[in-house]
Amino acid sequence: MLKVEIFSSPGCGKCAQATAALKAAVMELGADKVTWREVDVLKEMDYAVDLGVLSTPAIAIDGELVFASLPSVEKLRVALRQRLAR
Amino acid sequence: MYTIGRIAAQVGISADTLRYYEKEGLLQPAKKSDAGYRLYDADAVRRLHFIKHAQHCGFSLAEIRELLTLKNSDAACCRDVRNVAIQKKLQLEHKLRALHAMSQALTELIAVCNDETRSLDDCPILAALETSLGRQQEAASDA
Repeated sequence: MLKVEIFSSPGCGKCAQATAALKAAVMELGADKVTWREVDVLKEMDYAVDLGVLSTPAIAIDGELVFASLPSVEKLRVALRQRLAR
Repeated sequence: MYTIGRIAAQVGISADTLRYYEKEGLLQPAKKSDAGYRLYDADAVRRLHFIKHAQHCGFSLAEIRELLTLKNSDAACCRDVRNVAIQKKLQLEHKLRALHAMSQALTELIAVCNDETRSLDDCPILAALETSLGRQQEAASDA
């Protein structure tokens, strides 16, 4: 089960718009294969710093910062499929 | 209107710094005197205080320029400024971690050096730094 986390801050318009499309792409893979969590960096600052998040929005997969800025839906799909195939 | 010397003294910075801010696009004189001297208005004083306060919060001049642009943009709102502040806080938290790690490394080195009368050749701090440097170089050549 892959754990996808998107780091953002509440009220970030840029994050909200992009998040919906990315979440849909992630959930297409099936809830039995991936989980999706939205992380508020202000509430989980230590965790964000642990993973090396320097700016938001950013995406981590299984606790590893994979996208320091928001990827396209296709890039995220590819990254997830590669990990699922391992 | 303020001359460059007067406004610099009032805000507590040097005239050279003011000229640098002008070069960096952070501040422009309101006008120039007949003799060509820069003259600043009350807005410039407010802007300079803004710059100083932002620097105290860790913002670089480039980031302050971004904040000033947002401040004067009709399309921007408080949320945009907040996001800039959140990015800055993330960067500062990373720096704090790095500083803490450096401090911890020094604490360990100081603890190892428990005999101040040793010669430099036997100084454990110098030895540890050389070993550490050697390891870093080995790691770099392996990579």
